[in-house]
Amino acid sequence: MFDSLREKLQGVQEKLGFSIKKAEENVPVAPQPSPAPKKQEKKSSSTLVDRMKVFVTERELVISEKDIAEPLADLELILLESDVALPAVDAIVGTMRSDLVGSHRKMGTPVDEIVVHTLKHALLDVLGEGFDIKAYISAHERPVKMLFTGVNGTGKTTTIAKVAHYLKANGFSVVIGSGDTFRAGANEQMKTHADRVGVKVIRHQQGADPSAVLFDAVEYARAHGIDVVLADTAGRFHNRANLMNQLEKIRRVMKPDLVVYVDEAVAGNDAVIRADEFNAAVGTDAVVLTKADMDTKGGAAISIAHTIGKPIMFLGVGQGYGDIVPFSPERVVAELLGADA
Amino acid sequence: MLDRLGSGLKDALKKLAGKTVIDKAAVDELVRDLQRALLQADVNVKLVMGLSQSIKQRALDEEPPKGMGVREHVLRIVYQELVALMGNAAEVQLGPQTILMAGLQGSGKTTTTAKLARFFQRKGLRVAVVCADVFRPGAYDQLLHLCSQINVPCYGEPGNEDAVSIVKNGLAKHAGTEVVIIDTQGRHALEDDLIDEIIALNTLSKATHRWLVIDAALGQQARDQARRFHEAIQIDGVIITKMDGTAKGGGALSAVSETQSGIVFIGSGETIDDLERFEPNGFISRLLGMGDLKALVERAEEVIGDQDVDVNAMLRGKFSLRDMYKQMEAVKKMGPLKQVLGMLPLGGMDIPQDAFDVTSQKMERYRVVMDSMTPDELDNPSVISGSRIHRIALGAGAAPEEVRELLKYYKTMQRALKGMRGAGGKFNMQRMLKKFGGM
Repeated sequence: MFDSLREKLQGVQEKLGFSIKKAEENVPVAPQPSPAPKKQEKKSSSTLVDRMKVFVTERELVISEKDIAEPLADLELILLESDVALPAVDAIVGTMRSDLVGSHRKMGTPVDEIVVHTLKHALLDVLGEGFDIKAYISAHERPVKMLFTGVNGTGKTTTIAKVAHYLKANGFSVVIGSGDTFRAGANEQMKTHADRVGVKVIRHQQGADPSAVLFDAVEYARAHGIDVVLADTAGRFHNRANLMNQLEKIRRVMKPDLVVYVDEAVAGNDAVIRADEFNAAVGTDAVVLTKADMDTKGGAAISIAHTIGKPIMFLGVGQGYGDIVPFSPERVVAELLGADA
Repeated sequence: MLDRLGSGLKDALKKLAGKTVIDKAAVDELVRDLQRALLQADVNVKLVMGLSQSIKQRALDEEPPKGMGVREHVLRIVYQELVALMGNAAEVQLGPQTILMAGLQGSGKTTTTAKLARFFQRKGLRVAVVCADVFRPGAYDQLLHLCSQINVPCYGEPGNEDAVSIVKNGLAKHAGTEVVIIDTQGRHALEDDLIDEIIALNTLSKATHRWLVIDAALGQQARDQARRFHEAIQIDGVIITKMDGTAKGGGALSAVSETQSGIVFIGSGETIDDLERFEPNGFISRLLGMGDLKALVERAEEVIGDQDVDVNAMLRGKFSLRDMYKQMEAVKKMGPLKQVLGMLPLGGMDIPQDAFDVTSQKMERYRVVMDSMTPDELDNPSVISGSRIHRIALGAGAAPEEVRELLKYYKTMQRALKGMRGAGGKFNMQRMLKKFGGM
């Protein structure tokens, strides 16, 4: 994932570097006598005189807004094309602008370094930190209860099977509560997954109260000394008050330690709205992004992280049970901006 | 969120309102607002750029037709360009056909398959479905369960992992059936073996239609995915699902423009009947966050014949229960209240979700109550006395309170209509709605 975004970001990087370099050339090298250097002026007053002052006295360069306007507009488009939602784009470009404009640098320092540093800073700012589930479980009282939420068709059930597989491989015992009692075939789907992964699943019949199912799952875990309870829920839209209330009830009854919000990496601008609504209704502690193998540009990761400020825990990257990887922002950003960043 | 952008667009249009010549700066601003609105609705960036370019060009180059203001002129261009982008609503023939469903994982193929079966069934055709999803556990159970609700035969072979042979057997089994719908496994266009599989299914079934199911929330990806599916099996229609969320479905627009096809259906709810035919005008309005008054008016004209409601008599203050009865019937013909309200430009107004259900349920009750009245009472409601209320309630199987509530509602309506006459005889929708909201 993120491949195409990486290529494009590197393009912008070059462009930004280029226009900053050009700004450098444009500064006339006229050694005029200058008055005693005052403290460097604020960003807004980067007039030619100021720039020359600084140039002469400090042998530094001030980057003006005009110099980077065009590459930043390009960056904006690239982010939009990569499915980053508009508010998140505004935030990133805003950070870039305020960091770059008016920044001074010594003539000698390489342009790339500044650009890479700023972009990295802006992206990391938005992506936040990763989430180490293994450390979390080890540090907390057992059973650790994880409730999975999200809209229809994002892959909650499949994700739970994958997470169960991952946790089992890391030496934790797991039980699954099949709380999707609405969708036809959901129980069967969960059962089949659980059998394949080799995990016990607690389920009632279709139409049962999900809170009751999940309560039973937690009780089962407690009685059998199981480390982790993974609780599935039916997909629901954030604008359905009744369904959101039901989710709230589930949360009240089973008291999850972690509420995990599942969304797909291919979602567009709506990702922001629904992440926000779910967060407002039942809270969110971590995010799992599914379908990240669909040649996706990874924008949803940036948008969601920006909107609710919660860490991304896993990426789903395929149809197999092993196709789930922990998410590490530093690594992703480093990958986006080239290995040396 | 988009509504706010929609209002931004309206502001930009407002700036054009007083002008006699087209102002380049104003057009630029309008186009910029439009771009933002479309991008937020997930329309593909390249598509948006191309579109805004041609709108700008046309707005500045073309002379507005005589009698048309600058604002209307520009608005018309925006509409035309968007409609052109969307293509026509694809035709749905009501005859023997085979439909192959394709789409990404989790886009709602299986649910939509059942909804489609229901649609054709209601049109009086014999329908059968074949479940060729051999990968997702529970897929066959899900489809079987949905189909048994509507008594549609569903063919599947749980345990068989060869989708091609299942479809072959399924088609043979349903040979005499008019409409056969084949549900397939979710796949994305980068999985080569799965793409090969769907090509094989297409060749085998000689499908009349190959419809691509797209989640309304799908972002910029929609374009690439649609293109690759199109290359593989020649998509000839797109179904947008999950339109009942807040997503605007701009991704589907990219898919349509990429496949040169049209949008066939829109899925807008969790029950099996929540499938709507697609209307380009309404869709654009939703995309831009503007109400679809035009379609509403057209639809109203279509269903309300002159004999149905005498608007003029109503405006003169002669509004009897009989008129109200007709009006309710007419509104019912126009479709669910929710849809009708959705077409009104209520950008800022937040109507609670469950208000719709309550209201349409109430309407139905009112109708029953009115059915129990005599013609005299319908024409001249003032004769309804306490004992008559009692009789009506008994006849309708309702509580007397309900009858009183109906009469109160009738009086509010009457007042509202009088208010309308006061407002220059013009139909003042906003005000009428406000009055209704007070009920």
